[in-house]
Amino acid sequence: MLTENYGLADLATIAGYRARGGYSAAVKALRSMTPAEVLDEVKKSGLRGRGGAGFPAGMKWGFVPQKTDQPKYLCVNADEGEPGTFKDRFIISHDPHSVIEGALLASYACDIHAAFVYIRGEYEAEARRLEEAVREARSQGFLGSRILGTEFSLDMAVYRGAGSYICGEETALLESLEGKRGQPRLKPPFPATVGLFGCPTVINNVETLANVPAIVLNGGEWFRRLGTDRDPGTRLFGVSGQVLKPGIYELPLGTSLRELIFKHAGGMKEGRTLKAVIPGGLSAPILRPDEIELSLDSESLAAAGSMLGSAAVMVLDDRTSMVGVLKVVTGFYAHESCGQCTPCRVGTGWMDKLASRLAGGRGRRRDLDVLERVAGGIVGRTLCPMGDAAACPVLAILKKFRSELEEACEE
Amino acid sequence: MVKFVLNGRPAEAPEGMTLLAAAARAGIDIPHFCYHPAFPAEGSCRMCLVEVEGQPKLELACSTAVQEGLKVWTETEKVAEARRSVLEFLLADHPLDCPVCDKAGECDLQDYFRRYGLLPSAFEEAKERRAKKVPIGESLLLDRERCILCTRCVRFGRQVTRTEELGLFQRGLKTEVGLFDDMPVAHNYSGCLAEACPVGAITDTDFRFKTRAWFLERADSICPGCSRGCNIIVEHSSGFPRVPGSRKIFRIRARANPDVNGHWICDLGRYGYAHLDTGRQESLRTKEGLLPGAPSWEAAVRFLGEKLAGLRAEGAARRAAVAASSELSNEELYLVRRLFLQDLKVHKIFLVDPQEGETDGFLLTSERTPNRRGAEGAGLKLGLPGLDVLRGEVDLLILFGLNIFERFPGEQLRSFFDSVAAKILLTHQAPVAAWEFELILPGAPSAEKSGSFTNVAGLVQSFAPVRPAGGQARAEWEILLDLAKASGVNAPFYSGLTGLEDIRREMGRECPALKVTS
Repeated sequence: MLTENYGLADLATIAGYRARGGYSAAVKALRSMTPAEVLDEVKKSGLRGRGGAGFPAGMKWGFVPQKTDQPKYLCVNADEGEPGTFKDRFIISHDPHSVIEGALLASYACDIHAAFVYIRGEYEAEARRLEEAVREARSQGFLGSRILGTEFSLDMAVYRGAGSYICGEETALLESLEGKRGQPRLKPPFPATVGLFGCPTVINNVETLANVPAIVLNGGEWFRRLGTDRDPGTRLFGVSGQVLKPGIYELPLGTSLRELIFKHAGGMKEGRTLKAVIPGGLSAPILRPDEIELSLDSESLAAAGSMLGSAAVMVLDDRTSMVGVLKVVTGFYAHESCGQCTPCRVGTGWMDKLASRLAGGRGRRRDLDVLERVAGGIVGRTLCPMGDAAACPVLAILKKFRSELEEACEE
Repeated sequence: MVKFVLNGRPAEAPEGMTLLAAAARAGIDIPHFCYHPAFPAEGSCRMCLVEVEGQPKLELACSTAVQEGLKVWTETEKVAEARRSVLEFLLADHPLDCPVCDKAGECDLQDYFRRYGLLPSAFEEAKERRAKKVPIGESLLLDRERCILCTRCVRFGRQVTRTEELGLFQRGLKTEVGLFDDMPVAHNYSGCLAEACPVGAITDTDFRFKTRAWFLERADSICPGCSRGCNIIVEHSSGFPRVPGSRKIFRIRARANPDVNGHWICDLGRYGYAHLDTGRQESLRTKEGLLPGAPSWEAAVRFLGEKLAGLRAEGAARRAAVAASSELSNEELYLVRRLFLQDLKVHKIFLVDPQEGETDGFLLTSERTPNRRGAEGAGLKLGLPGLDVLRGEVDLLILFGLNIFERFPGEQLRSFFDSVAAKILLTHQAPVAAWEFELILPGAPSAEKSGSFTNVAGLVQSFAPVRPAGGQARAEWEILLDLAKASGVNAPFYSGLTGLEDIRREMGRECPALKVTS
């Protein structure tokens, strides 16, 4: 659906994109639809955010005040920092204009005239590709003033992040975009009312926006023909780890996790057996092999005590040390905590010190109890979702692989 | 007003008020570090989490507004556990050097641990080592190990002075407060940073290591440094509990008043207390051989009372002069006017104030005296004619304070004073030069007497003594009242005045602008 033309050499150019129907959704919307009708189709589609939280996109757009004296902004979240995730990079490198067209449609629906793409600093080539695409779109009149001869104007700028995970959190992204220290804001107020430079702001993930042109072109009902009722459409599942064919797989939401790993990704590498799956980026609590008979959609993953998150599926085999995984998890979040709120700042550092001792072979069984207590002190008590992102995977590893961790202890 | 339920009891608060403030109104303390009433909620310390019925997670009391019918619980086990957890996190990375920390005894972290923590720590890892003595301003030292990153200091620079010297650097556990470009805090409100710090991270070298918080006595007062009339708390000691020592002022802090100074005071007012303990005039002095025996108030009042009585003789009042100062209280300025102008018909009444200074655009005004509006309200106008004009015209001169010595060169003063037969000085600071005063009467600074000042905006603020006046010193209004009675002038009126309340009653009648209401 999203990726059918991916791999065609010229898709990334505006000519190649248009040759395959690109920007026809923009033409349709601007020439024959009101902003409310565009919003309505996206609402009808049930499209949910693809960044991690899974919030319905149409509802998010609807929160932005229609009448306001302030400028309104769109931010395209291309910070893609969740470990294991590489889908937005895939979209930008193959099909950058779909993101621009999606952003144009979102802006039209919300009466926004300035859009920023916040792209992670490491995505050097992708940033350049996007910048080139923005230039092309501007030169062909899909960005700029009076687009397609209508009253609607939109300009877009690409802004590069400086390598901080937390800047993928939407309010930290806004702070960073404003040139400040990248750390989350206290909510409420939410960005829809007080966002970039204090103005109403929509923040959408790259993949979310890339889905919008087809929805506008074919209608919200059309989008619902795939996926589950509450989580319609397809997702780009980024499979990594010890599978034969790691990569991006576009599959309908509701596909089983087992099918993704063993059919699409080719199953485990020769001689390896499945030990665990992290199903939605590093923040998603880990699953045991007996838990993978699971439909990949937001509700099913939540019911299984994990989350679909960024749909980055990390497959771990029997040679993987869970102490090592624990250390990677705690190390990452201790490094990336912005340091603003107490439980996350101290808790992630403390968890990492405990995990380091465990990984160094000097762990004690009581350290596991302390680890559990520290993680428990973070969950639900932090300023932004990063606290849960750091602590929930630790709690899941403790719960599901405790005996292995205990064996790694000195006493 | 919004009605809600707090710990099972009905409560109410103005719409839009935060749970934290609303609970405080109802007498319930919700512990907090980053929240400061001067700033919008920050929500980063996570200490003020409370239970709100219907909410799956604990909610921030500092940023959640009260709503009609909201049921809030501040003392449940869930809340207590969250507080213990935050305290354990904060203390895990804290040096626990309370015995040598200046903040001990008035530290929120220490107090809250005593009240809400008291748990053994499970933290057995190495603590982070950080710089413990970073100079960040002329009298400010930052101890990064004690810092809990509440960012009150950072926000002060951002939102109050807009100077933004301080910011957060690094991230995660390495996060620290620091100076941008190593440019130190150099504004007139630097002391506010130490005061706003809830722990011992920013200490003030003016106070550091001089005493302990629990030895101090505290009392409210009004800053006399300029006409803003900032509300202050004066902290002082009269020695150790069992070892009486010398009187000493240790610190002046801001007292919140949204109508005057918000939560802040300037450095000029904060650090300008040295004169209260040094260079004081606390004893009566008389000119050699003027009065028999040791100087006493009785003899001095009798002597001066007679002098004043003498002004009722034909033409005598014309040869008397009074140099008052708007450092005096409303009550005193009223008495100056009533006694000298109205009753004794002395028309040479001048107001001699300290030199004006620059305003700092925030609290500090250019009038470096607390009561210019009060003097105006009493009908006294600023100014003193040239001393040449007065030379030979004055037989009795009554001076309040030492301002005149700063306003004229010594030679001019000397030749004027030499021409005056009787010179009387009322002052709480000893004059530098050994002038030939007939009498020096020890007065009291505002910290040692009752009175009121009218600030730059016309607000009348009363004050009470922080500590009694030392030695023989007495409040100027008491001295003036005694002199009025001793002079015999308008006796029916003055005999009816026995204390400050009586003076205020008459003052309110005659000078409505000075009416004391609070």
